Amino acid sequence: MVEAAMLQVSGERVAQAGGPAPRCPAPQLVDGPLDVEGLRRSGHRHGRAVVVFVGTTRRKTGDVITEQLEYEAHRPLAVACLRRLQEEAVERFSLEGCGVVHRLGVVEVGEESVAVVAASQHRPAAFAATAWLMDRLKACVPIWKREHAADGAASWVHGEERPGP
Amino acid sequence: MDRCSISILLFAGLAESVGHREVSLAWPGGTAAELRTQLQQHFPAAAPLLARSAIAVGERYCRDDETVPPDADVAVIPPVSGG
Repeated sequence: MVEAAMLQVSGERVAQAGGPAPRCPAPQLVDGPLDVEGLRRSGHRHGRAVVVFVGTTRRKTGDVITEQLEYEAHRPLAVACLRRLQEEAVERFSLEGCGVVHRLGVVEVGEESVAVVAASQHRPAAFAATAWLMDRLKACVPIWKREHAADGAASWVHGEERPGP
Repeated sequence: MDRCSISILLFAGLAESVGHREVSLAWPGGTAAELRTQLQQHFPAAAPLLARSAIAVGERYCRDDETVPPDADVAVIPPVSGG
């Protein structure tokens, strides 16, 4: 349910102070608006190339007009899955760090529902990692959306694929 | 809950279809696939969605041939739609 991607690349280098900072901030499931700026700053602590992806909720799916969305999660499993995805992304794309924030509860159409940051020494890896993290999140992290249509009908969105690690 | 029953968390459309967010089943232990089959027998209206659902124990997904003990912390995870 992601309509628009806001991609941001920066070549800014930020010196790390003190000892090694955590490479990946803990994934967050939040009940209010996303702190995209905070997520972006967390990427800047680590990489020369920082890519931020932000997904916003979509008003129209096929012919159905959605008025509002609602997200729920199996929180402990979702956080554990996101942690594993972060670790795998760091390994797979040689990242300096990455982070994920997903919103839960009621989200109005047009609001931000998910954000991913990847920080790397090189731009292609950061772009590829954000795309990979979003693909994996949508395939295996136990979060579900319920679409509330303009005519009052509400339905949970379930694909065909059984989720897995 | 007695020794031979198991408490199972349900989510999203699966909870809606079953009518509960948590159910308890007689369960002496068995594989994740057997647990899914037993749930399908108990809740036939949810059988198609259960067929596409994963079994999770604790903070990880189970393979179908993995054993789910009677005291496990179990959740059934229907196809996800985050993002």
